Amino acid sequence: MIGVQTTQVYQIFIKASPERVWEAITNPQMVAQYFFGTQMEKSTFAVGSSVRSWSPDRKTLWTDNTVLESSPPRKLVHTWRSLYDKELASEAESRVTWEIEPQEGGYSKLTVIHDRLEGALKTAANVSGGWTLILSGLKTLVETGHPLTVFGRSGT
Amino acid sequence: MSDDDDRVFKALADRARRRLLDRLFEREGRTLTELASKMAMTRFGVMKHLRVLEEAGLIVTRRSGREKLHFLNPVPIRLIHDRWIDKYTESRVSALARLKAQLEERGTA
Repeated sequence: MIGVQTTQVYQIFIKASPERVWEAITNPQMVAQYFFGTQMEKSTFAVGSSVRSWSPDRKTLWTDNTVLESSPPRKLVHTWRSLYDKELASEAESRVTWEIEPQEGGYSKLTVIHDRLEGALKTAANVSGGWTLILSGLKTLVETGHPLTVFGRSGT
Repeated sequence: MSDDDDRVFKALADRARRRLLDRLFEREGRTLTELASKMAMTRFGVMKHLRVLEEAGLIVTRRSGREKLHFLNPVPIRLIHDRWIDKYTESRVSALARLKAQLEERGTA
């Protein structure tokens, strides 16, 4: 399939310390403000621990991922399965890596790599637009303290 | 960050660089050799364009063994979209939506 990538890389510069970026990725209250309103359960983010996220009304399990690698505040690797959609949920597990590198001028470079998508081509097509929106929202939240307006718009 | 916007717009204002982005959209994780193969320019020329794209954040390179692979990074285009395109298209779309609502109201009256 043209345009469907089994290794996807997303990168963004955020004016914040790696610690603040790590917090935005792991703090459920912050995650809810840029990740489609998802309600994430508290997790230790230690290797082997699970990270479960629910729909905004907490009725549907959206993801139930396992932490594969964890070195706060620089790197987090976890499995990915798209439980939010029946068709995608049946696809094979893939992998998400978050890398945070401090930059000059008080910036952090956040890179998200979603790979091992060979057995999950529908997920690959589904997440590509989502990650850009999520990272754009994460940046806005960390830099301004407010969520990106796109999530607040009603009726669209 | 307007400096970043400048870099993105400048990087996009070149046909060869847009072609390189399109080739990465078709399939990512390509090497310089692969990317240079169908371009009507020298390997050095392609390298220069890739550097401009990388500095603008439009591509990200990652090492895989001895190879340097190039990936498309769609995030800066998203930020440009949020900052520039959404702003202008939204008002037009809502103006059209208003017009539609008015015409429909009139139609039922």
